[in-house]
Amino acid sequence: MTATLERGLNALREQIDAPVASFFTTCVSCGLCAEACIFYKETGEEKFTPIHKLDLMRRLWANEYTLLGKVKSLLGLGEKITDADLAEWETLVYDSCTMCGRCTLVCPVGNDITLMIRKMREGMSAAGHAPKELVGAAERHSDYGSPMGDLHKALKAQIAHAEKETGIPIELDREGADYMALLSAQEIAEYPGVLAAMSRIFRKAGITWTISTEGFEATNVGVQLGNRDVARTLVSRVVAAAEKLKVKGVISPECGHAYQALRWEGPNLIGKTYDFEVVHIIELLDRLRAEGKLKTKGKDDTRLTFHDPCQINRRGGINREPRNLLGLVAENFVETEDAGTMNWCCGGGGGVGANERAADLRFKAFNRKKRQFEAVGAEKVVTMCAYCHHTLEEQLEEHGMEELEVEGLTELLAEYLDDED
Amino acid sequence: MTERPLLPELLRANGISRRGFMKYCAALTSALALPPALAPKIAWALENAARPSVIWLSFQECTGCTESITRSAAPTIEDLIFNAVSLDYHHTLMAASGTAAEEARLAAMEANYGKYLLVVDGSIPVDNPAYSCIAGISNLEMLKETAAGAAAIVAVGTCAAFGGIPHANPNPTGAVAVGDIITDKPIINVPGCPPIPIVMTSVLAHYLTFGLPDLDELGRPKAFYGETIHDRCYRRPFYDKGLFAEGFDDEGARAGWCLYKLGCKGPTTKSVCATVKWNDGTSFPIQSGHPCLGCTEPNFWDNGGFYKPLSTPAGDYRRVGLAAAAAGAALGVAGGLMGRANKARAARAHEAVDAHDLEKKS
Repeated sequence: MTATLERGLNALREQIDAPVASFFTTCVSCGLCAEACIFYKETGEEKFTPIHKLDLMRRLWANEYTLLGKVKSLLGLGEKITDADLAEWETLVYDSCTMCGRCTLVCPVGNDITLMIRKMREGMSAAGHAPKELVGAAERHSDYGSPMGDLHKALKAQIAHAEKETGIPIELDREGADYMALLSAQEIAEYPGVLAAMSRIFRKAGITWTISTEGFEATNVGVQLGNRDVARTLVSRVVAAAEKLKVKGVISPECGHAYQALRWEGPNLIGKTYDFEVVHIIELLDRLRAEGKLKTKGKDDTRLTFHDPCQINRRGGINREPRNLLGLVAENFVETEDAGTMNWCCGGGGGVGANERAADLRFKAFNRKKRQFEAVGAEKVVTMCAYCHHTLEEQLEEHGMEELEVEGLTELLAEYLDDED
Repeated sequence: MTERPLLPELLRANGISRRGFMKYCAALTSALALPPALAPKIAWALENAARPSVIWLSFQECTGCTESITRSAAPTIEDLIFNAVSLDYHHTLMAASGTAAEEARLAAMEANYGKYLLVVDGSIPVDNPAYSCIAGISNLEMLKETAAGAAAIVAVGTCAAFGGIPHANPNPTGAVAVGDIITDKPIINVPGCPPIPIVMTSVLAHYLTFGLPDLDELGRPKAFYGETIHDRCYRRPFYDKGLFAEGFDDEGARAGWCLYKLGCKGPTTKSVCATVKWNDGTSFPIQSGHPCLGCTEPNFWDNGGFYKPLSTPAGDYRRVGLAAAAAGAALGVAGGLMGRANKARAARAHEAVDAHDLEKKS
């Protein structure tokens, strides 16, 4: 099967529902979403106005779902959508949007623009207008289990490494464990230290956990591509693995869109509620802290700030938890401007980080975070998303700020864990 | 007609001094919003002008307009002016009756053909002309016949100007205004139910002195219909402060607050009632505690009730609104069903894909 314009338009048609119709109807063209968009703010280019990125979907809705539009279309007056239009919008929908969700939050009439971008990507991808890097990642993930290919061997190597470091065994495919932990490909490849960190923290807290060899990959490129068939296939693997091991909960790792995919989109994609709990690693750690099962000693005395991952904080609701935890271990914690639910994106989310074509735009967008880090004189940035972590390191290097250290929150906590018996 | 005494003689005979007459001319000049220097010119015109013949036709009316002019107990200057301009035919005021009266009209028309001034009060029934006849001649026929030789027409009163009360819903006689029938003569509309006397005489004076006055878009002389009653009302400060009488016997009514909420049409009614007033400047409706009815405006009788505030919609909007809401809901449901069908069609056309189907393969 091949992607075609007609398949794309049909996919868009499927996405138009009552909320979308009401969003397009109620938009008052105030432009506040532009002021909330990092790509507009850092480039000043009007085409990056979020609602404008949806113009093709709006046009299809107007042509086919409104009375006036239908009459116009009958008379041949409706403006048709061509493949060239889709090609033009591809860069707007994929390169200049990280689906960070700021526009949705500021819209005075409550339009969920981010949701509509997600919907529009359904049409773009079905028409063959998704970035090739994302399509490639989807193929690898579908065929080999991870967007980076087959990571089974790498995972086993990293587990062996963690076991050697901590002296604590990590049991794979253990049925009846409390939790099944997922990992993002980025963690396995770039930040494996998180394995040892979890291992130590969970042992101290008395939690049993495991990793499934049949579903350990947390990321879901289907959600970024905007293809629910692909997204459903990928999320189903994790759900099947969790059901097979009969765990009480599944731990979503430090990865933004993975949390979005499993916690919020997943049940809608597979059409049923889970019989296990999905919990973000930081959510779980804060719970342990509250129960007195996570004790630390000593504090990090560097001037330290926190970067909120959009999908976990703004769109995921985890805001207080990381701050509670930082309170345990950070001596000199300082918040940047707009921190919390209105935090600015690192510029790498929503598939933009994998998109080579978007490199320059990503670089410009990061200027905002750069200024904010400089304004508070941060020496270290802590975050709770491996891809934010990756993007921050990449961009800090590009902007000549390599001395600013980046660290994952789980690892930072493990450093100060009081695990002497 | 030439044997009639000229105006100065009449004035003297009625004990009105030259000074009184000049004051009156100055008042007219000011009422007409003309420069004061023109007062002597008006006096001269009234005293010496050609004294055109005036024919006054009364159709579907109540004689209120004539009453208005002749109301005063003592003969007024307005009255005298009507005498001075040769009022050759007027049902109510002329002594002659029957055939003699009609002959007077025909004689005046013949003697001054093309030069006389035609004054009309009352509306003209067109559904069936027999609804209103004079001496066996229908109003419509008489108007057409008399208008043919007129230099200009003054439509006095709201009935002649806009159809007035006979024209009000359901308009059983098919009443229309003079302007609806006569289109080839200059027409001055002097609406009001009735109009203020000085407004009528000033218009005549202006016509005698300078010809047609400046008219607004409804054919009314701008000098008298240029501003709303509201803008000149002595109760306006209460409106600006938001102090309104809510009933005819409440605190606000007693304190003389604005009558807007009791249905006053002052804000949309153009007339000089609030400044010139009635009965020799004694009072006007709002001053006596009653809202303005808006009688100088077209369709004032059908504008949704005299005691409804202007902000309340007039007419049967409730039923229209319900029908519109029902039609809108039906359209909305139909549109929604069509949209849903469209979406369902798209869902049926969906073929599940995997990651390998997202590229264009040619």
